[in-house]
Amino acid sequence: MPHPTLVTDLCGVRLENPLVLASGILGVTASSLLRVANSGAGAVTTKSFSVDERPGHKGPTILSFGAGLINAVGLSNPGVDAAVAEIRAYKAISRTPIVASIFGRTVDEFGAVAERAAAAHPDLIEVNVSCPNVAAELGTPFEADPATLAAVTRKVKAAARSVPVSVKLSTNFGFLARAAQAAADAGADLLTAINTVGPGIVIDTNVRRPVLANVTGGVSGRAILPIAVRAVFEISRAVRIPIIGTGGVASAEDALQMLMAGATAVGIGSAVYDHGVEVFAAVGRGLTAYLEREGLDRLDSIRGAAHVA
Amino acid sequence: MSRDPALMRTFRVAKVTTHAPGLVSLYVEQTYPITPGQFVNLWIPGVDERPFSVSDVKDGLVEISVKALGPFSRRLVEVRRHDWLGVRGPFGTGFTAAEHGLLVGGGIGVAPLRFLDRVLAAQGLSRRLLFGVKSAAELIFPAAYAGTAELWSDDGSLGERGLVTQGLERALAAAAPRVIYAAGPEPMLLAVLRLARAHQIPAQLSFERAMKCGFGICGQCCMDGAGLRVCVEGPVLTDLQLHQVTDLGLPRRGPSGRRLGA
Repeated sequence: MPHPTLVTDLCGVRLENPLVLASGILGVTASSLLRVANSGAGAVTTKSFSVDERPGHKGPTILSFGAGLINAVGLSNPGVDAAVAEIRAYKAISRTPIVASIFGRTVDEFGAVAERAAAAHPDLIEVNVSCPNVAAELGTPFEADPATLAAVTRKVKAAARSVPVSVKLSTNFGFLARAAQAAADAGADLLTAINTVGPGIVIDTNVRRPVLANVTGGVSGRAILPIAVRAVFEISRAVRIPIIGTGGVASAEDALQMLMAGATAVGIGSAVYDHGVEVFAAVGRGLTAYLEREGLDRLDSIRGAAHVA
Repeated sequence: MSRDPALMRTFRVAKVTTHAPGLVSLYVEQTYPITPGQFVNLWIPGVDERPFSVSDVKDGLVEISVKALGPFSRRLVEVRRHDWLGVRGPFGTGFTAAEHGLLVGGGIGVAPLRFLDRVLAAQGLSRRLLFGVKSAAELIFPAAYAGTAELWSDDGSLGERGLVTQGLERALAAAAPRVIYAAGPEPMLLAVLRLARAHQIPAQLSFERAMKCGFGICGQCCMDGAGLRVCVEGPVLTDLQLHQVTDLGLPRRGPSGRRLGA
């Protein structure tokens, strides 16, 4: 029986394993991304960046609520020039694929940042149209309207040239299948699902006010795994393009659920709080052990397996 | 439920001690064990949240010493007894206690070393203290250190005039400690690191970087090189770990992640 392999093809990009560091986690600098890559991730994603530098919200920006995390960092980023410099620095020292996560305030800004990101030759570009934490400033996320979502997707696709483009969706506006369809029809090569859920609010009952400086924040971690699995399940029925299934994954069991729901790759983010950067290697070992136990040689055998008639 | 230091917990400040204008110690209830060198995130509701090292733990209270340096710490030194304060943590990796330690502190860096000094004393471990300040008014806990610490000041108003690292050079020439512990401004830490390496003495140094989360996920405080997180592997890093760090002494990264001045 051959030794099982976790090697995953994601739109022509070869990943040693399907585990992808999710955007917003340990993704500010080349050194940090390299460390996660060396810890066993199959690919890493930068923190989302925009044309202009942004300091983000005041603190607290991230906290635990006991069953996961809630955050409103506010899309802090050093601006496209500094972010692209980190991507170049990363690529000079790592062969693990890197995903550039981008966002803009307008459709044109999405195009501008995509063009400059593409020049650094990331392996994939991920379009963050679903951050729930900047509504007061940037308005309703672009994903909320299928026509706008399609316009952003087309703009980024044109600017990205040969770099495959993933559109990152959330479950926060309903019509998930329709949004997935709109992105796919507009040329998205793959989808990432899901962004943080909500938004939610945590109130400190002593001081009787919300804890996050932004008041509301996106919910991630353990609590959202079943929602994310459902989203991947639903999207994989609606479109034929690959999905990076992200949301609450902390173990091989969780990753298997994502794969069986139809994901090609699996994002891991908040689990770094509970399990450290070692979570990537641990989940990878668990996936290999599963394949050995089942007598399978590759993950393709189980992708989408939960879609019973 | 298991330990979850990233949860927000609010406490009424149990006590406030003013050491000098703009230099106070705040005391809050202790929830988890804390080792010297670890830090907590302090939240002034409605204002902001920032990391601060712990300067002592005693009688179920955590002491945090704060110097008014920026907008947030200027608000923090105005906090009064019975005010609500959010406290998260402890976070990070602290100092490891050893015999014959040489503690080198600069400015507010004396704070975590005070906690270390008390823990070493409780374990019966010998140690020597070298503290440097700009001027006499800056030393926290002056009464505690009269006669026990060798003091240096920029203006000569306390102890000897000069830098604490001059004291370190002299101390190393006289007798080799087993370990050097240091906390203070980064230029001081780098001078300490050079001397420790020159004398082949292990060093444990406490560093600062801009942080957002404090518990190892946001990536804001990662040092260039091996990507060590100041909030998890640090803030106390050993001379060996520091071989993997390439941004020592460079301008800091600001809240956006961009290196200031770059």
